[in-house]
Order: sequence, then C-alpha cells, then structure tokens
Amino acid sequence: MGYTITEKILARAAGVPGARAGDELMAKPDFVLAYDFPGYTDVYFKSMKEDFGIDRVAEPERFAIFIDHMVPATTPKEEELHIGTRSWCKENNVPLFERKGIGHQVAAEVGYATPGAFVVHFDGHISQLGTFGTLAIGMRRNVLEAFVREKVSIKVPHTVRVNLSGELTPGVMARDVFHHLVRTMGPSSCRFQVLEIGGPALKTLSTEGLQTITGLAMFTGAITAIVNPDEDRLAYALPRARKQLEPVFSDPDAHYAAVYDIDLNGLEPVLVIPPTPSNTRNLSDYLGLEINTGYLGSCASGRLEDLRIAAQILQGRQVKEGFMLNVIPTSQEIMAAAGREGLISILAEAGAFVSSPSCDYCFGRIATMTDKQRAVSTGTLNVRGRMGSPDSEIYLCNAAVVAAAAIEGQLADPRKYL
Amino acid sequence: MPLKNLRGRVAFIFTEEDFDVDQIVGVKNIKITDINELAAAAMTSYDPEFATQVKPGDILVGAGNFGYGHPHYPPMRAMRHLGITGVIAESFSPGYWRGEVSMGFPQVSCPGILTLVERWDEIEVDWEAGVVRNLTKGTELPFEPLAAGDEQMLEAGGLVPYLKRTTPMQGERKDH
Repeated sequence: MGYTITEKILARAAGVPGARAGDELMAKPDFVLAYDFPGYTDVYFKSMKEDFGIDRVAEPERFAIFIDHMVPATTPKEEELHIGTRSWCKENNVPLFERKGIGHQVAAEVGYATPGAFVVHFDGHISQLGTFGTLAIGMRRNVLEAFVREKVSIKVPHTVRVNLSGELTPGVMARDVFHHLVRTMGPSSCRFQVLEIGGPALKTLSTEGLQTITGLAMFTGAITAIVNPDEDRLAYALPRARKQLEPVFSDPDAHYAAVYDIDLNGLEPVLVIPPTPSNTRNLSDYLGLEINTGYLGSCASGRLEDLRIAAQILQGRQVKEGFMLNVIPTSQEIMAAAGREGLISILAEAGAFVSSPSCDYCFGRIATMTDKQRAVSTGTLNVRGRMGSPDSEIYLCNAAVVAAAAIEGQLADPRKYL
Repeated sequence: MPLKNLRGRVAFIFTEEDFDVDQIVGVKNIKITDINELAAAAMTSYDPEFATQVKPGDILVGAGNFGYGHPHYPPMRAMRHLGITGVIAESFSPGYWRGEVSMGFPQVSCPGILTLVERWDEIEVDWEAGVVRNLTKGTELPFEPLAAGDEQMLEAGGLVPYLKRTTPMQGERKDH
C-alpha cells in the first residue's frame, strides 16, 4: 500500500523510513512560523528564556516571525509589542517580515512554502501553504514545543481525499468551492485529519484560488490541507524555496480515510450566514438583504484574482452612498501588482477605501461594526463579534459578491455585472 | 504517574453540534482577563444558577465537534475557576482540543455520551479501564484512547510543565 503526501513528509521530518496514519512520531519542522500577538509570541519569548534557559535559538534560519496584526500600531502598547518582537528577532538572528502583508500569504511569497516541507505555526490558516505541497499545521500554544526543542510530537493524521471535477463559471470562485465543501461534507468531516485536494478541476483552479481553499481547511475540522503540487505550483514555489527538498506526492494506492467526489459544474455563488462558518446557503435565497459594509481582503481572499473581479464589477460604477467598502490586498507584492494593472485606481475611483495589507480588518480591530450593522466579507470567519459588536452580522462570500453588494447596498448577484 | 480519574456530576450538557465555546462567556466578555469577572459572566445565558450550583469535580458534556470555530481560552478558564475538571463530548474540534489539553485540562472523546448521561448524574472517567461510567444509572461506555503525547501532557499538568519535564534547560544541556 502506498503513502499519502502527508505520511511521506512526516516520515522524512521524523527521520524514519516510513510512517503510517496513527503513528506517533517526533518530527523536526523545517520551518517554525509565528506572527506577533499579545499572549502568544511575547509569552513564548519569555518562557524560552525563563523556563528553558534558551537565550538564542539554534538554527535561526528555521524560524520566521511576521508582524501583520496591529499594523499600523494605534497605541503605544501595540508598538511596544512590535519592539519586543523586533529585538527578539535581531538577538536571535531570526528573519522578520514586517509590513509585507498577511504572514500566511507572505510565507509563500518568501519561500517558506517549500514543496515537501513540514511547517508549524500557532495559527491554523497557515494550512494554505498546502497549495504548494507543504504540510503546514497550526498547533496553537503547542507550537511552543517547536520553539524550545528541535522536534514536536505529532500523531500522523489520516487523510480525507476530495476529488474536484467540473469547471467554475464566471462569478463563482474558489471561496464558493470551499464553502460548498463544508456544506457537502460537513463541518466535522475531516476532524483531526488532512484535507487533500485533487481531481481534474485542479488544472482550472488558480493557485490563488487554491490558497483560499487550503487556507480555510480548519472549518471542515481538518488540521491542515494539502495538494499534490502540479507544474504551475512548483514553478511558483521552487525558485523561492528556502530549502532544497525533493517535492513528494501521494502514491496512487495511498490509503484515504474517506474519498469525496465533488462536481463544480453548476455551482452558484454561496453565502455563509452568521454565526458560524458551517452555515453555507445559496446566495440566491438572500438577495436583497440590506448590507452596510463590505470587506475584501484577509489571508483567505484579497489576492489578485479577487481584486480583479471586484475591479471588473466596479469599473465605471460607484459604491452606494453610505456603504463602506474596505479593500485590503493580502500582501504588498499583491498590492503593487494590482497597482501596475490599474486595479487600485479603478477601485478607488469607484469609492472603495483601499488600504495597505494588515490582518486587522479581519479580526475586527479596524472598521468595527456597531449593533445591528451587517457586513459582507471575504474574511475567514463570521462568528458573533468577529468584526465589532456581538450584535452585528457577518455574511461570508466571494469577492465578486462583495463588489456587487457595495454597488447596491444589499446582497446582489455579481453575475449581472460581469 | 497515571492520570487521576475524574469523578463528579454532569454540570451541564451542551447539546448543540459544532458548539462555539466562546458563547459560554459571551463574545462581549471574551477579552476580560480578571478571572472572577469571567467566572461571573460564564453560563449566564444558559443557566443563571450555574455558578451557585456547580461543585468542584463537576464535568461538562458536549455534542459532536465541540469547540468548532475560533475558540478562545477565557471560557474554559472560567469553567476551571468554577471547579469544572474536564469535558466529555461526542467528538471535538482539533483546535479547541489542542488548546485545552495544552492547558492540562482533560478532554474525553466519547461517542454516545449524550445517550449515557443526564444533567446532574454522578459520573466517572476511568482512564485505565478506558470507560466513562454513569454511577447514578450503573451504565458505562468506552471512550477513545488518548494519544500518548496528549496523555503525557495531561499527566504533567499542561504544556509548559510537560516540556520542562522532557526538555533539559539549555544551560544544562551544554554540560553533557
């Protein structure tokens, strides 16, 4: 019986000839990533010194820190946290990426999405590196283990395989695919397992779209998502890769805990209604619902294809008076490319508020809503209070739906504008 | 050192699938750091009498995929402060599970638990026998064994003591 890509990556990282789902191993992460956040990195840095006597990390090239939350700082206390992070990185000679964009995206841009690598983070959305055949797992506080010793204990996860077939029609995006998966398979379908995405539709899905799908994997219960990288994804990742590794792929006879075949033909834009990411509905059932604000951005969406479709819809049109549209490209690299394409000027002329990359719109530090307000959002989550008052509401959808809602001030089908 | 069995009453049963634990204290209270304030906010929308009825040793019971979403730490901090010693659920969401096990807070995955217990039944989690016993009704159900890593972390009392036990101080390491 063959091995899954996940079993192969963990076997190599653990230095064993083969690993099977269910084995408990000690595996050495190729990269240990984190963003600075109060109660996380500051606590690790202190604990490393005081509890474990670690003044300097060994192999600093295995670590990277991102400053992407609280950017720009709005209080002296926030800036103090960043100062602590900068000085820890300097003392430890650990690469720091500040004001480059949302870390999970930047990680791919600067080479941590090394095909075949094992990566850990505390945040689960790092799963999007799986697009490039990287096994990236969010361990929550347990990532401290990776900061204080070489290896982390891990139980090799089982894999759920999803074969996507068919093709998306204009106005239907990767975002819809992911939420359709949650609707079809269920929010606990991949609990403690890896979501492996494959099938003939992968050829037609963009790399950016796949980053959206893999990045949201946790809402199927998965601990991460992964793809056997094709030529295009390797062409992106290999020249940037920080480590020389042989890309690995699942064997044709690998064992899967479950296999789902999902046809994308005929898929319509979907809407995820509050208060949980498990509530996928058809957009068509909610058309006309009044909306006050829109957010296009986050580590899940906010890449070039999202900005392109929003610009296409908004070109020559105006955001409805009183509607607050925030467009936040996911990274500086993306923002610069969008500028060169003219997308930024189209969006600005239409009345969008366009701002530099930051995680802060997604977790409600910026542009928070008050009671009874309603948002359409390409952010990661729609739980109560995520973007302000617990009595506000977040409807998750694709970037095209955000743009259409911005024009009408209500939920609208973007396809009539395409 | 084996894990000590949990024994207490079922203080509450969350019957909702994919339960978002943030609701225990309410999202508007999630940033409270004072433990007494947090505990006072806990469960008020489910059972206003909860804090006065709960006793040290009591246990919570949940449905499938317990802890789904982006779970935060304050709700279960509040629960531990009120004396809750563990959670038994039909199944758990991985992020929540990892987070609470790293706090040294026992989580027991026991398919069928909702049919085994009613609120205020006296129950026991017998780690060695691998069963949850309903002492009130005289019934029992097997639970899913812990991964060795999780078991060691719970035995140690959480992530930091676990790592301390298994990782020498760097200064000491140099002496070898």
